[in-house]
Amino acid sequence: MTFRLGLAGPLAMLRAEMADMLQYRVVVFLYALWGFIHPIVYMAVWSAVAGEGDVGGLRQSDFTAYYLTFMIVSHLTVAIEIYTFGPMIQYGRLSPHLLRPMHPVWVAAARNLSYKAVAVLLLIPIWTALFLVLRPEFGATPASIALFMLSLAGAVLLSFLAGTGFALLAFWTTRSGSSWEIWMGLTFLLGGQVAPVELLPGVMGQLAAALPMRYTLGFPIEVLLNRLPPGEVALGLALQAGWVAAAAVIVALVWRAGIRHYEAVGA
Amino acid sequence: MRLARVIWAFGRAALLDETAYRGELLGNVIRSALGIAMAIGGLAVVFAHTRVLGGWTMEQVLVLLGVYYLVNGLVSTVLSPSLNKVVQEVREGTFDYMLLKPAPSLLLASTRRFVVWHVSDVVLGAAVIWVGLARLEANVTLAGAAVFAAAMTAGVAIVYAIWLALTTLVFWFVRVENITMIFNLFFETGRYPVEVYPFWLRQLLTFVFPVAFITTVPAQTITGREPLVVLWAAPLIAAAALLAAVRFWRFGLRNYTSASS
Repeated sequence: MTFRLGLAGPLAMLRAEMADMLQYRVVVFLYALWGFIHPIVYMAVWSAVAGEGDVGGLRQSDFTAYYLTFMIVSHLTVAIEIYTFGPMIQYGRLSPHLLRPMHPVWVAAARNLSYKAVAVLLLIPIWTALFLVLRPEFGATPASIALFMLSLAGAVLLSFLAGTGFALLAFWTTRSGSSWEIWMGLTFLLGGQVAPVELLPGVMGQLAAALPMRYTLGFPIEVLLNRLPPGEVALGLALQAGWVAAAAVIVALVWRAGIRHYEAVGA
Repeated sequence: MRLARVIWAFGRAALLDETAYRGELLGNVIRSALGIAMAIGGLAVVFAHTRVLGGWTMEQVLVLLGVYYLVNGLVSTVLSPSLNKVVQEVREGTFDYMLLKPAPSLLLASTRRFVVWHVSDVVLGAAVIWVGLARLEANVTLAGAAVFAAAMTAGVAIVYAIWLALTTLVFWFVRVENITMIFNLFFETGRYPVEVYPFWLRQLLTFVFPVAFITTVPAQTITGREPLVVLWAAPLIAAAALLAAVRFWRFGLRNYTSASS
């Protein structure tokens, strides 16, 4: 199977998916609301712990800034492939896409981007209101903002690849959801959701620094808020790039094995 | 008596229906255990930095987490399967058949289906409560257990009232599959005691969307904490919420125009 290079196909796909998402904007908005609940809960929890003092050098205002940034970053890096691409494979809706001169992964990418774009329109007013009410203090500098953009792009890419990788398990099993839940559980614990990674005790902190979850979520926030010394930023960016490359190779290999399996079933 | 037989018949049918998917049991047990393990891991992270959270110790929050999972399990075993079926039937137009049955529609709507495999959440939730109480070395008296049971009953009644009210919206807005998500959204805050939240959110979660009465209040009663001032209000709020939800359901039913006519 060969695919013609060029962006005309993916762009057309993006337009179609965008129109589709706009049709379901209320549902999209309801899903996007989930992005608020965890940051609000953990902002409250850590603010209660910090009180008037600090937790490991982080004060209440730092937690406010961290979790407000978290709301935006987690929305931009959310992976929905297990609910979009996975069922396509499971119910055979992938077949027509295989006939097109374009890699089907672009369908997943287009849907991912259009979901985020449509939801963002509805989320921006709420984010703005929250920023105006809570008035977080950012220790951001022009350099940290630039590095934030870079690490955010890496996080978006890595989480998309991870989501796609788990969705591809649908070639073999109808229960790909369980392994995804393990990944999400680890992201909750080690990715910077339950706490900024720097607050994770002992071995959890070391695991978090090495495993990919932090680089899909928490790392860009730490970079923006200037919580890391330059050496750790560089190391983090290198690790993130490494995980992106590894994930791309894994997804490509799993896709090749899966598509052979798919054909073998005759679906 | 006849109603009990009706419920029993539905229960048996549901059980037979579900035995076709026995494999689900293992998957659900693993999923529940994993979810609880992650939640406890999260608690461990928080309590690595503090001894009390909003006045609660780790063991007390553990009990509260158990209450959360127990209620969550009850919802996914009985409530959400039955009420989601109502939503589906109204959309597809088969709800009329249910109204024709010679039994109260509300009873049928609320007890028709149960997904027995989600009982794993109930069992694990109870186990977490037990572990929390054991680590607290709490002296649970018979009277204390009775108060806890009463508070739990009130909490579950409130959950039922909220679900019923959200489901009733289907009679006006046919596409509400996702409306019940609003419950889950608010219920997520019930993993932590309501004292943790800032003032405005605490008021919201106590008086508007009473999550406080679902997890915080029952956990208060059994962990030997000073009872929340609002404890006495739990049965009153539960009764009021139930009454309002049932009336809303009746009102919705009168507005139901059926799919075919």
